[in-house]
Amino acid sequence: MKSIHATTLLALLALLALLLFVPPYLPTTLVNAGIQMLIAALFATAFNVLAGQGGMLSFGHSAYFAIGTFATIHAMNAVEAIAGFPTPLLPLAGFVGGGLLGVAAGWFSTQRSGVYFAMVTLALAELLHALAPHLSGIFGGEGGVSAMRMPAWGLTFGSSIEVYYLTLFWAALGIALLYYFTRTPLGRLCEGLRENTHRLGFLGYDVHRLRLMVFTISAAFSGLAGALLAMSNEAANYVLFDMNLSAQVVLNAYIGGIGAFFGPALGAAVMTFFGYAVSDLTRTWLLYQGVIFVLVMMFMPAGLFSIGRWWRTHRDRHSPGRLGAVFAGWACGCLLAAAGLVFLVEMLAVVLAQDYQSLLVAGQPWPAVALFGLNLRPGQFLVWLAPLLLIALGVAWVLWVGRRWAALREEYAS
Amino acid sequence: MNVPIVENAAGNAAGNTAGHAAGNAAGSTAGHAARNGAAARNPAAGARTVLELAGVHKSFGETEIIRGVDLALIEGERHAIIGPNGAGKSTLFHLISGQLQPTRGTITLDGRPIQGLEPRVINRMGLARSFQITNIFPGHSVFENLRFGILRRYGLQYNFWRRVARVRRITEETEQLLEELRLLKSRDVLAGELSYSEQRSLEIGMALASDPRVVLLDEPMAGMSREETDYTVGLIRQLTARRTLMIVEHDMDVVFSLSDRVSVLVYGQIIATGTPDEIRANRQVQEAYLGTEVSV
Repeated sequence: MKSIHATTLLALLALLALLLFVPPYLPTTLVNAGIQMLIAALFATAFNVLAGQGGMLSFGHSAYFAIGTFATIHAMNAVEAIAGFPTPLLPLAGFVGGGLLGVAAGWFSTQRSGVYFAMVTLALAELLHALAPHLSGIFGGEGGVSAMRMPAWGLTFGSSIEVYYLTLFWAALGIALLYYFTRTPLGRLCEGLRENTHRLGFLGYDVHRLRLMVFTISAAFSGLAGALLAMSNEAANYVLFDMNLSAQVVLNAYIGGIGAFFGPALGAAVMTFFGYAVSDLTRTWLLYQGVIFVLVMMFMPAGLFSIGRWWRTHRDRHSPGRLGAVFAGWACGCLLAAAGLVFLVEMLAVVLAQDYQSLLVAGQPWPAVALFGLNLRPGQFLVWLAPLLLIALGVAWVLWVGRRWAALREEYAS
Repeated sequence: MNVPIVENAAGNAAGNTAGHAAGNAAGSTAGHAARNGAAARNPAAGARTVLELAGVHKSFGETEIIRGVDLALIEGERHAIIGPNGAGKSTLFHLISGQLQPTRGTITLDGRPIQGLEPRVINRMGLARSFQITNIFPGHSVFENLRFGILRRYGLQYNFWRRVARVRRITEETEQLLEELRLLKSRDVLAGELSYSEQRSLEIGMALASDPRVVLLDEPMAGMSREETDYTVGLIRQLTARRTLMIVEHDMDVVFSLSDRVSVLVYGQIIATGTPDEIRANRQVQEAYLGTEVSV
């Protein structure tokens, strides 16, 4: 791994400045969304130590996240009575909790690799998922467990913005430490594990132990992310052990790009914001998330982070204006197609819903639907044709830009 | 300098003594002289056995690939294993290095049994190997590949609080090895993007990076040009100066110039062991394997 680029460093500093200085001017809901984005970014980065760098795809990472959350809630309750206990240090409980579970679960799962590893992680997470509701002493049963953030160091932790800064501190520290990890001997060997465990054995390395250590580090930082959720929500429920969260972190990491260190964090931040922005507007947002995932995997398998890489590979030969135009062309085409798809899906969602179906009277035209500020009649041909045309136009546009771009590159090559 | 030809139990006594006598007069090339010097360095008499195979068998299902191999490597010698394709040379290496377990028989390293141990344990006991099919970390730089080989000796493999680049001795040692391998200019190139022969050099380098006392090289020169082969022979000679080397090689010029002793493996059995001259002169070897390839 080469040393960090000056431009990357500048971009990171700018991002950090943005995260530090902008939130006080944002509405509380956005600050809360920011907290969720930071937690997801740390979680995805921790997950990626295992999946992206170590080449071990875990399907059960919610377990370590959730243990971190519960450990922190219990720690909060345990120190509640101690006046002046440094509340900001409580996430360390989640770090330790995730790490301990990581050692235990990792010892089993890292005996195998590939699909078998993934299956063991999945099984262990499901085991906890099935056990958690029955262990109500620890996980609180249906009602879950809750705790209070106690004031410390002159901070009350009563407002979202204070929680935001606490989250930012731990998330940034966690991601920075994980970046540092990639430069240490174990971190380098972690990437060797992905490439060629066979040869590592012949170089004298205990592959199982290396894997276990990497697994534990990933689990501990996942636990730290879970701890931040505990600090933010002051409550936890066994639903956290659900498969959803494990799947979400996989999607986030892959959408961002597991090949780049900051890819998963980017994917997690983008997708969490997407969820925050869209989930209130429509119930079909999970479908859109799925479509995004499929499209990214098909056309941008290295994830969103590969956009930057694409730019860097071509900037020597093409002007920024041209690259920008190509990129904008693709983006416009995608947006057009997306608009058509959203229109179509939302229309279908309304028309196929039970409450709409119950309004239908035999022999009468279908009643109008209010959507996007329009009064649409599902019986009209144009209502269905327009979105299909939009999709077709968008796809054609993307293809056309792609052809132009290929021609430009060929022109340069000859 | 009379290392006796060791006949294996399969009983091929006939024609042996005659072959014996004919040998020493033939061919004294430059490489030959160098080899003789090397042999003088390791007198067989009173020398210590480092690696010993006794009655080693290996079957895959019904098929017996190794059919009773007895072999002793003397400390400091360069020992070549030759034999036709499918004779079991690579299987023999797999058995010694821990990739495979023998069906029967014992393998000892410095008198300690190693058969059936894991490759990493055998490596730590001081035996390293290269692979016939290049077995590197293609997505990592050449430097990183060699550093993987060197790191463990510093006991830093479980370290996650120190920047590896800060450990100067490791960087220096890696760069020195890069230079010896003529790979310094490709230091930061991804190993997967190296030319074939450069990858072969890296393969040898990785076997030597863990600083073993016994090195097993499996066809290190396969696919190299004449010039690259010549350089690599010199390199192997230099890098294995204070080690015991066991090498599988098809290039007879290399075999006869590099090795102190040669063993001939045919159908899973060693039919002869001796100095290059003795092997060249061995009629049975000529019949079984060398044929017209080598003019005696």
